[in-house]
Amino acid sequence: MQVSSKEKFWLTAPITFFLLVMLGFPLLLDLIYSVSEVTFENLLAPRLQGFENYFETLQDPTYWDALAFSLKFGLTASLVQLFLALFLAIYLEPLLARHPWLMAVLMAPMMVAPALIGLMYRLILHEFVGVIPYYLWEWVGDSPAFLGTENAFLTLVTIEILQWTPFALLILYTAYRSIPSHLREAARMDGANSLQLLMLVELPYMMPVILLTFFIRFIDSFRVFDNIYVLVGSGAGGTSTSLSIYIYKAFFRGGNIGQAVAASVLLFLAALLLIALLERFSRRMETT
Amino acid sequence: MKKMSTKLGLVLLVSLFAVKSLWAQVTVLGWPGGPEETALRKAVEVYNAGPGKSNGSVNLIFFNRDGFWDKLQADLAAGTTEFDINLTATYAVGRYAPYMQPLSLPSAAMDVFGDKVLKTMQFEGEQYGVPTDLSLHFMYYRNDLIDKLLSDAGWKKIYGEISQKYLGKTLAPKNPDTWNWEDYAATALFFTKSVNSASPTRYGTVLQMKNLLFNMMIWHSTARSHGGEWLDANGNVMVDSWAVRQGLQLYKTLYDAGASPKDSTSYEYAEANAAFGSGQAATMLQWNAAFGSLNNPEENPAVAGKIGTVAPPAGPAGRVTHIHGLGLGLNKNSKNKDASIKFLNWLSGAAAMETYALGGGSPAMAKSITDKISGDRPDLIKLGDFAGSYGFVMNGGTSASALQIYTLQAEQFTGYWSGTKSLDEALQATSKGMADLLK
Amino acid sequence: MSMLFRWLIFGFAALLFNFPLLSTLLTSLKSEGEIVSNPSIIIQSPTLANYVKIFEMADRVDILPFLWNSLVISALGAFFALLLAFPAAYVIVRTGFGRNWLLPFVLNLRALPLIIFAIPLYMMFQAVGLLDTLLGLALIMCIINLPLTLALLSSTLRNIPEELDDAARIDGASTLSIILRIILPLSVAAIASSSVLGFVYAWNEFLFGLMLTTKSATPITVGASFFFSASGGGVKWGVASAVIMLSLLPPLIVGLLFYRSIGSSLTGGAVKG
Repeated sequence: MQVSSKEKFWLTAPITFFLLVMLGFPLLLDLIYSVSEVTFENLLAPRLQGFENYFETLQDPTYWDALAFSLKFGLTASLVQLFLALFLAIYLEPLLARHPWLMAVLMAPMMVAPALIGLMYRLILHEFVGVIPYYLWEWVGDSPAFLGTENAFLTLVTIEILQWTPFALLILYTAYRSIPSHLREAARMDGANSLQLLMLVELPYMMPVILLTFFIRFIDSFRVFDNIYVLVGSGAGGTSTSLSIYIYKAFFRGGNIGQAVAASVLLFLAALLLIALLERFSRRMETT
Repeated sequence: MKKMSTKLGLVLLVSLFAVKSLWAQVTVLGWPGGPEETALRKAVEVYNAGPGKSNGSVNLIFFNRDGFWDKLQADLAAGTTEFDINLTATYAVGRYAPYMQPLSLPSAAMDVFGDKVLKTMQFEGEQYGVPTDLSLHFMYYRNDLIDKLLSDAGWKKIYGEISQKYLGKTLAPKNPDTWNWEDYAATALFFTKSVNSASPTRYGTVLQMKNLLFNMMIWHSTARSHGGEWLDANGNVMVDSWAVRQGLQLYKTLYDAGASPKDSTSYEYAEANAAFGSGQAATMLQWNAAFGSLNNPEENPAVAGKIGTVAPPAGPAGRVTHIHGLGLGLNKNSKNKDASIKFLNWLSGAAAMETYALGGGSPAMAKSITDKISGDRPDLIKLGDFAGSYGFVMNGGTSASALQIYTLQAEQFTGYWSGTKSLDEALQATSKGMADLLK
Repeated sequence: MSMLFRWLIFGFAALLFNFPLLSTLLTSLKSEGEIVSNPSIIIQSPTLANYVKIFEMADRVDILPFLWNSLVISALGAFFALLLAFPAAYVIVRTGFGRNWLLPFVLNLRALPLIIFAIPLYMMFQAVGLLDTLLGLALIMCIINLPLTLALLSSTLRNIPEELDDAARIDGASTLSIILRIILPLSVAAIASSSVLGFVYAWNEFLFGLMLTTKSATPITVGASFFFSASGGGVKWGVASAVIMLSLLPPLIVGLLFYRSIGSSLTGGAVKG
């Protein structure tokens, strides 16, 4: 009746084997690096030193600043993306269903590498040659410093949202369309109006995908790197250092490989914890 | 159709498992994109048609510019043999020295480049590269505007009032070639709309204040001309000094007064050029490389033909410009060292460098050589002159951690300029960080 | 009437999302001189010079191999991830096997800045000759795509009623044939979305493309700057815009093709509870 344990093994063997081969060695080496004093010069002979890299990371205020930045950035961006995409997916469904190619129009921004998007915004937002400041000067007579310290966060988050809402839209739209029609029919038969249908039938049915979408978008926005790096670097005084930028800088610019890896291991553990909590949370949801 | 797809499949297969072909060639990793690439291609073409025939020919590869140094670092640290000769730079020569082999260039190289320029490729007394391109900074200004400022009585009067109000003394306009930093500041303020509503330009100057190590290099001239230095003779960090404070405060004063565009804290090379090129800024402290494009009427119609360039303004300790060089050196793991050395030796000769310069590169060479090609490259004379008279490299500027030090300063100093850190905090953190890096 | 509003909202969203692309398209049609003197959306003298310039450089740097490399890497990267994740997703959803170790581990990969694997992977690839090969990069893309692919597939498979499996089993079908004949056809939409998204992620990847290639397998994200970097760290905006527009075409076409298959699979009513 059930999948046999032999089958379980063979069906999960390829991915497990692949991960072991591709990441086993790198992970092992990284774990060694994280407890070593290692620079580019002694990559092959790191000097073991215990957990100093971890202590140093935990004591580094800029690490916590970077973590806070990434959390704030990830949460803001992913929540806005989620609500915007959910609205568009449901509201535009009749239109998109009739003209599927419209979806491709909405998806276009995802196809450009974030680094190149960042590059283009360097031009678009430039006070003298950018199209947005140009029209602001024309119409309002002034234009804000989009990338100045006080506005940078808002600008960067907006750029992230505009590029990646289509991603959430694609998933949510697919999910919305796959709601079995008999569910809707049954609800209508019971006299549900559109709002009730949405709140009591459609959204609950989509909830797992909504959570998944939120999770994916949060993770992606949390580890933001390219567009920020291209636009403002790590920001004046380091004010827009995301965790990825922190780790990249520690790794290459600081040449402090052990600490960069330790910072990543800490992140990995934190993320594991988060996933475990989410898992428990979603199981409780399933049982209620 | 079927044939087509079989063909595609084959191409796919071959490209998947393509083994790099093993030519007995010297592979050179160059700096991509700009005139450095064009110049290197030109030089290599000449070499391959001549000495390369017997010495072993040279072929070129390039990496992406973004992340170039990081990629190079990874390659060298892993002992790559993908290239025999690679790019190096003054601020990175100490960092890559462990993976590179010192050169003993022919004595003629001394006559071509001179000691000061060769030094930009030296670390702990060894020569690690042939200095192919030199970069330094100019004070760019608008001829037309400065001419009017120097002659118009009404403007002179306002200039005096503005300098009194912002700098505490009444100054008279001066020729940019005789500026000190106060003259520069007064001029920048004068040409700023928010300070002087009669200003024909929106901003008086363009400062590059993005958190980026290269921006620190431009700024360094302000500190150095006040006598600033990274390390004293004993190797102790002396960055928390009056001179460095003067330089940092100058930027801060101008930025806070609105003399540089609002978004200056996100400006680097390209943004600054766009601002100056739009005709809405009267002066700019910028790399020498920008002149060609700014002065080209096709690219920058608003300012081409109206640009003057001089060395950066003087401070109490004289007039200086930060210099750094790009160069080519030998990968320690190269399997083709003999042929590579032959190419590098050839490249360091007068004839090769002449070709390189005519191809668009910017080598700093002895006057006798630059004079010969002054018809095609008049700018190289200025480059050589400025490097010789004003060029400086900070004490520690070629050390293994130079790149990290610039990065650290960029983080701290931009914090001060943008107002998230006090001057004391920024300097203390810089001193401490530098001491750690140089330990 | 309500359709008209939908068109309006769609138009607004499309404009807003695509604003950087539209602006880039306009920039690519301006001359370098016009870009710095005329930021408005009206082009005074439209020109294709920037596009011509890209192909004029073909003897120095050729854009076509970069595009081809990216195409191969991205397609294979998305395909490998599907191949590995599909059977695993089935086992995880149906039996819970791996739910507590495989799934969280793979999902977690997404949270990590993969930069920390750059050096070990470099050494590994160097040892086995995968450096600067398309296959090598495709394997990396597979790692990058696995979390998303596995998550999407698991969440879809969870919605496929287990009764279908049971019915087939009673008819004597093996697990493999259940996967291939029943589950696979019902997952077309998820497969299509994860292929599109996997392709897009791989297409946009920069760091490993930079680190692990030198000349033979360079993808377009890395090759792009060869065309538009100017001296001193400058950018030739016109050419940059043209390169971006060209590099946008392949994924857009792939997206369009696959998107159609999502649409048809749904309207065909394949997914019915």
